[in-house]
Amino acid sequence: MDIVSSMLDLMRRLPPTKIEENVDALVQISPDYADDLSGNVDQPLKLRVDKATGKEYLACVYNQDGESYRSPWSNEYDPPSEDGPVPPPKLRKLEIAANEAFDTYREMYFEGGVSSVFLWDLEDGGFAGVVLLKKTLTPASHSEPSGSWDSIHVFETVERGRQAHYKLTSTIMLQLITRRESVEANFDAKDSTAWKHDGEVSLSGSMTRQTEQDHPVQDGTSHVQNVGRMVEDMEIKMRNLLQEVYFGKTRDVVHDLRSLDDLEKARRQRELQKELVGFIKR
Amino acid sequence: MASMSTEERVQAVSQFLLQSPPGEINDVLNDVRTLVGDDESLEAGVLPALQQYNLEQFTVAEVPGAGHTSIVSATAQIPGEQDRFLDPRSKESFLFDHLSLEASDPQPHEPEEASEPFRSALEASTLQYLSSHFNDGTASVFATPNNATRFTVQIVANKYNPVNFWSGRWRSEYIVDLDERKITGRILVNVHYYEQGNVQLETKHNASIVLPASVTASSPSVSSKKVLTLIADQERAYQESLGDTYHEMGEKTFKGLRRALPLTRQKLDWDKVLGYKLGAELSASKGVFGASGGSS
Repeated sequence: MDIVSSMLDLMRRLPPTKIEENVDALVQISPDYADDLSGNVDQPLKLRVDKATGKEYLACVYNQDGESYRSPWSNEYDPPSEDGPVPPPKLRKLEIAANEAFDTYREMYFEGGVSSVFLWDLEDGGFAGVVLLKKTLTPASHSEPSGSWDSIHVFETVERGRQAHYKLTSTIMLQLITRRESVEANFDAKDSTAWKHDGEVSLSGSMTRQTEQDHPVQDGTSHVQNVGRMVEDMEIKMRNLLQEVYFGKTRDVVHDLRSLDDLEKARRQRELQKELVGFIKR
Repeated sequence: MASMSTEERVQAVSQFLLQSPPGEINDVLNDVRTLVGDDESLEAGVLPALQQYNLEQFTVAEVPGAGHTSIVSATAQIPGEQDRFLDPRSKESFLFDHLSLEASDPQPHEPEEASEPFRSALEASTLQYLSSHFNDGTASVFATPNNATRFTVQIVANKYNPVNFWSGRWRSEYIVDLDERKITGRILVNVHYYEQGNVQLETKHNASIVLPASVTASSPSVSSKKVLTLIADQERAYQESLGDTYHEMGEKTFKGLRRALPLTRQKLDWDKVLGYKLGAELSASKGVFGASGGSS
C-alpha cells in the first residue's frame, strides 16, 4: 500500500472525535503528504466572523490562503492577503447569488447555523465550488445532549451545450454527546441497595456519498438552482442514512454484544421445543 | 518542516495503535507500517503500545490446554513478570505474545487459601451471568493478593464483522469489596461502523453500588449470587438507559440540528429562492442560451 491510501485507511478507522489531532500527527510524520491529506480528509468547519459585515462564515481548505480565509460576504481575506485568489467577476456574481440562495436553504432546514459557498474556475473550462453548512447545539443544562452538524458539498460542473454535467461529493459530519450523572436508591423490605453513576455517550463520525447528474442550463442562475436541488436531495438522502446508522446500526451492535433477554432461558426453551417435536414424531 | 527520526515516527504511530477500534488493531498496524517504512524499528518500538492496548482492551487469550478463554488485563498480570498472565479459572499462568496474541508455556499457579472459596463461587455466578446475557463473552474473576475480601470481575464481549464494515466491544469491570461493602464498576462500549464513512459509538459509565448486609465473606455461594444479581441489574439498567439516550439524541438533538423537511413540509422552490433582482442581473451578465426545454 502507498502512503496516501494508508493515511486515508487510518482516518477511516481512528475515532472521529480526534480527527484534528490525528491529522496534525500525520502531517508531522509525513510532511510531504500534507496536501494530499488536507485535500482528502474532511475536518470540522471553523466559524469565523467577517470584519466588514459582522456576518459569520465558514473556514476550510477551499477559502484558505496560508493563514488567511476569504469571507463569502465581503470577498475579503482575513488577515488580508495580497495574492489570495478570488473568483473572476462573473463567477463572483454567481457566488453571491449562491450564498444568498443557500442562506435561505440553511434557514429553512437548519433554523440557525451558518452557511458559506465558494466558487472557483477549473483549468479545463467549467467551474467548481463548495457548499458548507454548520450548526451546533449547545445544551441548556448539563444533562442535555450537545451536537454538531457539518455539511461539505464539493461539486464540479462542465457545460455541454444547453446541458451541464455535475459531479457532487458530499460529506456530513455529525456529532452527538450526552453526559449523565445520577444517584438512585432502592429501599425494599429485606435489602437496601443504593447506587450512583455517571457517564458519557458519544456518537460521532462522518459519511460520504457521490452523485453525477446532467441538468439543463439556461443562464447563470440555472447552476445555482441545479446545484441547490442536488444538494437538497443529497442531504435528505444522507440524513436518512445517518439516522439509520447512528440510531439503528450502532444500537443493533450493542444488543448483539449484550442481550437484554436471558439467552439461557431462550436456549432451554429451544431444547424443550426440540424434545417435544421429537416426542411427537415418535 | 524538519523530518521526524524513525524513533519519533514510531512514537507518534503508537498513539494511533492505542486508538484502534475493536478488532482492527492489525489493520491499523498495517497502515502505520507503511508510514514508518522500517519494520524492524516498528516491531521493537510499538511493543509497549501493543501491550498497553491489550491490557486496556481486555484482550482475550486462548488458555493453552484449558478449553476456555481468559482476559489479559493489568489485574491478570503476574507481579514482576511483564508478559505472564493469570487465568484463575484453570489456576494457571501463561506467557502472552502481544503481537500474535498467542498464549503459551502454561504454569500452575496456586490460589490463596483464604480467598479461593469466595473467588470460585463468584466465578461460577459470573460465568452463569455471562452465558445468560453475552453472545461471545469472556469473563475472569480475580482475587486480590493478601486480601481475602476484595475481588475483581472482568467481562469482555467482541463482535467483529469486517465483511459488513462494523465491529463492537463491551467491557465491564467490578471491584467487589466486602469490607467496604460496595461494588465499584465501569462499563465501556465501543462500536465502529465504516461503510463509506466512519461512525463510532463510545460510551463510558461509572457506577458504585452499596452492598446489602446479606453479602458476607462467610457465605460465598449465596453472597456471590447476590453480587451478580446487583451487577446484572446495573448492566440491564445501563443498557436500558442507553436506549433512552439514543431516543433523546434522535428526537431532540438530531432533529434540532437539521429538519427532515422545512416547516412548509415541502422541498425548496429553487426558482423562487433566488431574489428576482439578483436573478435578472445574473441572466443579463451571463447571457441567455436561448429557450431550452425549461429547467423547472
